[in-house]
Amino acid sequence: MAKTKTNTEDYLRMYRQMVRIRTFEDNANQLYLSAKMPGLTHMYSGEEAVAVGICEALTIDDKITSTHRGHGHCVAKGAEFKEMFCELLGKEEGYCRGKGGSMHIADQSNGNLGANAIVGGSMGIATGSAFTSKLLGKDDVTVCFFGDGATAQGLLYEVMNMAALWNLPVIYACENNGYSEYTKTEEIAAGSITARAEAFGIEAHQVDGQDVLAVNELTQKLVARARKGEGPFFMELMTYRYHGHHVGDINREYYRSKDEETDWKENKDPIIKFRGWLVEQGIASEEEIEAMNAEIKKDAEEAVAYAEAAPYPDQSEVDMHVFTDIKHALARDTA
Amino acid sequence: MREITLSQAVNEALAEEMRRDETVFIIGEDVAEAGTPFKVLSGLVEEFGTARVVDTPIAEPGFMGLGVGAAMTGSRPVVDLMFGDFIYLIMDQLCNQAAKSYYMSGGKLNVPLVLRTNLGATRRSAAQHSQSLHALVAHIPGLKVAMPSSAYEAKGLMKTAIRDDNPVVIFEDKLMYNDKAPVPEDEFLIPFGEANVKREGSDITLIGTSSMVQVCEAAAEILAKEGIEAEVIDPRTIVPLDEAALLESAKKTSRVIVVDEGHQSYGITGEIAGRINEKAFYHLDAPVLRMGAMDVPVPFSPALEDITVPTPEAVAEKARKLMSGEMIHAA
Amino acid sequence: MPHDNGPHDVIMPALGMAQETGKIVAWQKSEGDAVKTGDVLFEVETDKATMEVEAQADGFLNGVRAAAGEDVPVGNVIAQIGSEAQASEPVAPAAPETGSAEALPEGAEVIMPALGMAQDTGLIVAWHKALGDEVAAGDILFEVETDKATMDVEAGENGYVAALLAEAGEAAPVGAPIAVISAEKPANPVQRSQADAAAPATSQTKADSAPDSKPEPEPAKVPQAPAPKRTDGRILASPKARRLALEQGLDLKRLVEAGHPQPYHVADLEVLKALPEKTAGSAATASRHLTAELSTDGFAEFAAWASESEGLNDTNTLLAGLAAASLGQGEATITVESFDQARAYAVPAGAFSAITLAEEGATPELILRDLRMSRVSTVALGAEEAPVLTLSYAGSRLVVTLECAGHHLTAAQAVSLLSEFAGRVEQPLRHLL
Repeated sequence: MAKTKTNTEDYLRMYRQMVRIRTFEDNANQLYLSAKMPGLTHMYSGEEAVAVGICEALTIDDKITSTHRGHGHCVAKGAEFKEMFCELLGKEEGYCRGKGGSMHIADQSNGNLGANAIVGGSMGIATGSAFTSKLLGKDDVTVCFFGDGATAQGLLYEVMNMAALWNLPVIYACENNGYSEYTKTEEIAAGSITARAEAFGIEAHQVDGQDVLAVNELTQKLVARARKGEGPFFMELMTYRYHGHHVGDINREYYRSKDEETDWKENKDPIIKFRGWLVEQGIASEEEIEAMNAEIKKDAEEAVAYAEAAPYPDQSEVDMHVFTDIKHALARDTA
Repeated sequence: MREITLSQAVNEALAEEMRRDETVFIIGEDVAEAGTPFKVLSGLVEEFGTARVVDTPIAEPGFMGLGVGAAMTGSRPVVDLMFGDFIYLIMDQLCNQAAKSYYMSGGKLNVPLVLRTNLGATRRSAAQHSQSLHALVAHIPGLKVAMPSSAYEAKGLMKTAIRDDNPVVIFEDKLMYNDKAPVPEDEFLIPFGEANVKREGSDITLIGTSSMVQVCEAAAEILAKEGIEAEVIDPRTIVPLDEAALLESAKKTSRVIVVDEGHQSYGITGEIAGRINEKAFYHLDAPVLRMGAMDVPVPFSPALEDITVPTPEAVAEKARKLMSGEMIHAA
Repeated sequence: MPHDNGPHDVIMPALGMAQETGKIVAWQKSEGDAVKTGDVLFEVETDKATMEVEAQADGFLNGVRAAAGEDVPVGNVIAQIGSEAQASEPVAPAAPETGSAEALPEGAEVIMPALGMAQDTGLIVAWHKALGDEVAAGDILFEVETDKATMDVEAGENGYVAALLAEAGEAAPVGAPIAVISAEKPANPVQRSQADAAAPATSQTKADSAPDSKPEPEPAKVPQAPAPKRTDGRILASPKARRLALEQGLDLKRLVEAGHPQPYHVADLEVLKALPEKTAGSAATASRHLTAELSTDGFAEFAAWASESEGLNDTNTLLAGLAAASLGQGEATITVESFDQARAYAVPAGAFSAITLAEEGATPELILRDLRMSRVSTVALGAEEAPVLTLSYAGSRLVVTLECAGHHLTAAQAVSLLSEFAGRVEQPLRHLL
């Protein structure tokens, strides 16, 4: 299904998806700041070109695994605002009926095998998904999103070894946003990240994660080759997170400067860059783009309002979904 | 009925299920040509090929994680963990990922995975190859835990496990692989959560798991000669647990000893004893006793190792004590 | 066991994790050959590969007891390296040795071979040689059935069948000696069955594990003394015993009083039920027994006065009235027993003239037993459903006795009741006024 994005519709869709992610995150941040959202959340803002560039190269049957910073992947893979906001607020209509929250949104109807609150926790899952594809003779490809921080987890090297041994159709997508939680990546990662994959004989690429077209073009090529059994592949996507590690990480001068943040936001923003390119290429006018932005903003506000008004799950759901075949797990043993 | 070993029973169960369902595959260390160190899987790779009987590098978290992802996407992996002791290595994949996926996704992403591993001391393998860690797993909501006590259970429970849509951990006693038991040639499954009354008795209930069922049966033989009729019950799965059957027997005999090879403290014996205490208290004529493995790392020396696990004599001795009406002290 | 001058045992090595036996593929040295440390003695096949096993000593290969193609349990002695060639040197028995081996004729032991991985025992289908028969090493000695097939087993030694230690149809543990082949014709051949075997089977199932192992080191057992009687009034009893006692109206205190050792279990309820009924009456509750003797009997005088001036002719009514007044609680039901009659009276507060017979079935608060006309002087009849006041004569003195159960009245109440009543009987008019 993935084909070269050469037409207007595809470019506009990429732009729209990036703005949807940014808008979703702005609203999520507001929900947090206004104490309407339980718990914490990790903002994807600034990294939109990575999720969109990759997911636009995938079909609905292709799978992704996501991370604690997962809203962007979820939106990019086709999720709806309403169910996402409902999940963030712990409502019954959320993607996980309010049982997962921000860090566990799964949307298997669009091939999203779920965000994961354990750093590096989904690497095995992604590799196993690729294993199924090979075992059952399907042609779907799995993309494993993870951050630079997760490259410190041993699991990555165990599964890359197996994926390489068995030519599994999996693409390891390392979103290098420069920070491993509250620590500079250079303080936690020795040597080269791509070289680690290359040590297993895995073809590895480093790409500008703020350039949606570059990300998309590379991903299309790798996905096509993975489908033919030439996988696995590794991508290191150089990007930046605008917020702190999570929404509560406000005061972060001790690990990075405001000047650095400002520089990325003003000079390397993926949405601003791509918007400029669309106008320059005559694909969309400023007015059309503003109209699109306004429409997305309205969509998000409506979804937030809907989620705020939506009911919480009934308390009887607390012991449901522990097992597939036991409706209420706590009633089980005494039945 | 023909008799086969526990090892053959597991092998048959896997072969039958792999023939029935092409999404079933086995993955783990030395499962293919080697057929595992215990030779339980011998012959399977010849029939099903290396695509479905998959040898992995020595990377337990890696292949366990791979199993979870495969299970989420339409396969039915049987993940082979060479020794139960290695469960510590895969805890994140088992307990944070497999066990919670269905719940965290609100019922969308289930993980039909079987983790096949073992337990049991007295094999002179010392503290890192002799542990019985089923309580660790049974503690985590979302995992089912099966503990076959003979070749018959090993086959029936394995087939049920493979067809179950949830993660199931099966603990085989590694000392029982050569033990034979009657196993029907015709296909059969053993449902989870149904205890088996191995022996009926009226005086005292002995609840045993895995090889401790044999220990309880041997203890019952000893007691029978002394005029004490012990009832022996095998829960077969500890999650789900057939609590009703255990309570019924406890109410009938009013005395219970729970025998399990996991460490006694914070273990299965305490859990079952606790439930009986809560739900059959006014039917008890004596405190419910726990007999687990000694709370020490499993020692190597046979002279030490043998005294760490419950034996038929020790169970019988406790039973006599309960029957005597003697004051039972906590120690 | 190794000989004193130390022939070196050649042992089937443990090479694989799940390996219980090793198959000898081929011997590279023959019986009697000189060998040097490091020489390849034989090849063994395990689960993964074929391996060469080297000699661990210099000397001569003697007593080879396992042939090529044979599966030998790991740890078993399969030959020896001795200081000189001794083609027929009897070889030490393979472990595990049974306790009965000492009494056996000298010679090479024939052991039950391990033929399959999963095999713990072998079933002897038939012996092909009889006790005392001469045998050659290659002769078929017996047939054994394993899980897979029946196999012929050769004698392995030249000589005579000096002992048969298992009967046809019996199973013997792998590694256990089942025959002895002696070099000389045996004088006293031995025939045994496995059932006679003193040593336990070698199977390692936990259910078979040695009875001398204990799950935990326990202190030497001290004879259990009955639990000391508790002084706080709490009784040690199982939850079930308590429940059943409650349901059946049994009082566990009776067991305490009978000196029955605690803790109590269901079985002890049978003991409780079997306690004598009399004990039940007095022991069920601490009983009270109080007596007052009166030097002057004012009641007869009072009865006469009442009859004359007030028209109250029924003495029993008067007694009921005095008794009720002694209770000091206003209205009361009093049963008066005299001359084998029992009548219950309803006694309201106030004048004796208002006393009437109580309704049928009324429960008395007090029983008054009038024995003044009988020959009984002192009573100890035990508690009844209500406190009992008994009037009797001891010589010329009027005796008032109060008997009741502990739960009827406290000691103080009992003393008070008896004092009040005795006072009223002594001087009825004074109290009436």
